[in-house]
Amino acid sequence: MKARDAVFDTLKVKVDERPQSLPQDLVEALRLGAISILVLLIAAFLFSGVIGPLFALGGVEETVMDVLTRLSLLALPFVAYIGGASVARRYTRSDIARALGLAFSSTVILFAVISAGYYVLDYGVFAPRQSLQMTLSQSEAGIRVDAVVAGGAAETAGLQVGDVISAIRRDAVDLDAFNRRLSQSKEGDPLRLRFKRGEEELQETVRVVLVSDKQLGALWPGLALALAFTAIIVFLPGHWAPYIALVGLLSPLIVGYFWVIIATFSFRTEGLVPLDGNDNFGGFTLKNWESIFVGNIAGLEFNIVPIFMTSLAIAVVMTFVVLLVSSMAGYALSRMHFPGRRFFLSFTLILHGFPAITLLIPIFIVLLRLGNIPVIGELIGFNTVGGIALVMVAFQLPLGVWLMKGFFDNIPWDMERSALIDGASRWRTYWEILLPQIRPGLLALGIFAFIGGWNAYIIPATYSIGTGVSNLPVFLNELIDETAPVDWNQVAAVGLFQLIPIFIFFIFAQEYLLNIYAGGTKGSS
Amino acid sequence: MKVTIDNLSKKFGDVIGVENLTLHIEDGEFVAFLGPSGCGKTTTLLTLAGIYKPTDGVIRFGERVVNTVQPKDRNIGMVFQSYALYPHMTVFQNIAYPLKLKKVSKADQHDRVRQVANVMGIGELLDRRPGQLSGGQQQRVALGRALVKEPDVLLFDEPLSNLDARLRLTMRGEIKHLQKDLGITSIYVTHDQVEAMTMADRIAVMSGGHLQAFDSPDELYDRPKTQFVAGFVGNPPMNFVDVSVQASNGRFFAETESLRLEVQAARGAPPASYDGPVVMGIRPEDIQIASNGSVSGEIFVVEPLGREDLIDVRVGRHSFLLLADTEDRHQAGERVSLAFDMEQAQFFDPKTEKSLLWQ
Repeated sequence: MKARDAVFDTLKVKVDERPQSLPQDLVEALRLGAISILVLLIAAFLFSGVIGPLFALGGVEETVMDVLTRLSLLALPFVAYIGGASVARRYTRSDIARALGLAFSSTVILFAVISAGYYVLDYGVFAPRQSLQMTLSQSEAGIRVDAVVAGGAAETAGLQVGDVISAIRRDAVDLDAFNRRLSQSKEGDPLRLRFKRGEEELQETVRVVLVSDKQLGALWPGLALALAFTAIIVFLPGHWAPYIALVGLLSPLIVGYFWVIIATFSFRTEGLVPLDGNDNFGGFTLKNWESIFVGNIAGLEFNIVPIFMTSLAIAVVMTFVVLLVSSMAGYALSRMHFPGRRFFLSFTLILHGFPAITLLIPIFIVLLRLGNIPVIGELIGFNTVGGIALVMVAFQLPLGVWLMKGFFDNIPWDMERSALIDGASRWRTYWEILLPQIRPGLLALGIFAFIGGWNAYIIPATYSIGTGVSNLPVFLNELIDETAPVDWNQVAAVGLFQLIPIFIFFIFAQEYLLNIYAGGTKGSS
Repeated sequence: MKVTIDNLSKKFGDVIGVENLTLHIEDGEFVAFLGPSGCGKTTTLLTLAGIYKPTDGVIRFGERVVNTVQPKDRNIGMVFQSYALYPHMTVFQNIAYPLKLKKVSKADQHDRVRQVANVMGIGELLDRRPGQLSGGQQQRVALGRALVKEPDVLLFDEPLSNLDARLRLTMRGEIKHLQKDLGITSIYVTHDQVEAMTMADRIAVMSGGHLQAFDSPDELYDRPKTQFVAGFVGNPPMNFVDVSVQASNGRFFAETESLRLEVQAARGAPPASYDGPVVMGIRPEDIQIASNGSVSGEIFVVEPLGREDLIDVRVGRHSFLLLADTEDRHQAGERVSLAFDMEQAQFFDPKTEKSLLWQ
């Protein structure tokens, strides 16, 4: 009893130690921030200074290491602020002023340290920037040159104060477009500027130079961002963090889906904004969808029905055959002993690892020969839906067999024995007792197979060259290849059209899909 | 239905499941297979069910040899430890399944399932699924399913070991009562010797794939033929001591350096004629703490069991378990004297582990 009290006492002391004094907290916050900075710097050095060159020795390009280096340097300030702010989070419930004060002071100090580092190293906001060495402002007539640096690029090229720039080469620009253009250019790039001096129309070519001006004023927006970021970290409810991370990581996918949906219903889009012919918001239309069913996209004539049916046929045949063969093979592998069982198991696993592309040519020869066999050749030879489905099934089966074996392994032997003793034959036991229990597995595999067959591209594209047999993905590719200019909104409509059956499938099947993760077959109804 | 097992062996590759088993089970008899895990009792049961084919030997149901008969053609019912109910079917469908396979008409199915369900006390649960039932209810459903097709032989594979202790007690009584009522030949596999003792007409004690003994519970308890049986049957287990039995002037004494106990002539003669020390077995209930006891020892541990105390007494380097009234309030460390009821002592050959008294 004594010992237990002693443990509680020490715990109590630990709780009572908080809150510490403000300087103590600040030191802790700064220490956390500094550690994060150090870790990321070491990581960046490893990527760029050690691993990258090693890769380069092997003749491998360093692009990945480059990206990792940049990412760790980019994340550096944010991670440091998170480190600092996390100390402040312990006061959010009791003392908000204290929490904010602590978080902001640590952020300001860390910001100063990082900025100083950037200043010394010519990095980040202090990195040299593309410049034409003149000051510009937007006016009614165009971009007015307010000042030129003596001896700078602009002056050398002949620009003077008071000139009004209207275009770069032939493209009319305002100040925003001009700056964007400048920031995308490299050192030494020539920019041919059209400008007016009084009534005179002139053209001069200015070469871009890199200037590191190191203006401290550039720090303020960064500081504001840092403080806002810190405030969010301090007040963010802890359980939101995983969702925010998830949404952040998924955002490209989410934006992509939004774009596809918006694009199919509009005349054209700028980013996610639908526009009409005059670049105003609006321009909603059903034309893109209409063209699918009319069968004419940018002059390419087609009939969507057989294409759709081909896709459907491949997907349905594949689903059916894969389910049938996988479940029976899985049962045999799970429940029966036969010579070569272990070999078969490991061999299918190796087959699963084989990339389809490496086998394209040998399979092509096989299909060609199959096509020469009378009757069967008509069904599963080269250039037939059956042949394509056969190949797709073959690639799906190893996974299916293994998956099904796993599901059968989970059914207790007693269940099967019980059915046999109750008077069922082995076949009937399989059909009436075992299959219903792996229904979630069958559904999952069925969906995999269906989606695989429905979205199949490489195999249908390879084994249906120059025939009417093409499924939706192959057709989508043709659409991009054979129309010029490509109307992306119509392509998007075909893409979304292809997604419809998958959506329908998911709406009905998702309960079963979730069931798999909610504990398999055990005691489920 | 009589069940006859002659020289049955079942091997899985090199692993022996059961070897040279011979058992003759009478019609309507309740037989328990008792033994520790891995002793071959479940293997034997599954071989009887037809799930395994015997490697060697003959199994007869009545006069019919069933060695290669499919399980579905044996007309047996079986209850599993895991119940093995079909989770996707309702209780009604579960119980009706054997009838459906026998192509019994819908109306008959309905009547017979109702009847069995009422006997099992699960009449109001017929629309539920197994997942919605408690362990005890699931066990009743499993039993109902085994009984509904009126089998010739009922097989139980540790049916009560997943139930809690209280429920086990109730179900024990119910199964025994039901079996006597219906008169179906039953074989009951268990590792719980209390279950075997209380329920079975005869017990087949197995160990390492071999039959150790096949006898009535009383017979096993009073006249164990091997040391294994003596140690396995009875709770708390029998005490074993290595002793040498000496004859002097027509009296027999079992001796160690710290013990000297007189044995009656009938029990003492066989071990006395054995060359060398023997194993003496004595059950806890045959040792009493008594003021006039012949042996003195020190109490090492007292375990209260409620009705009585289980006491571990150390005598020299020997340790004896015995039972004492809780009223006596014995304490660890207390010095006590023990009286041995040597009329109940057993003697075993230390090499063959066979009894020196009973063959």
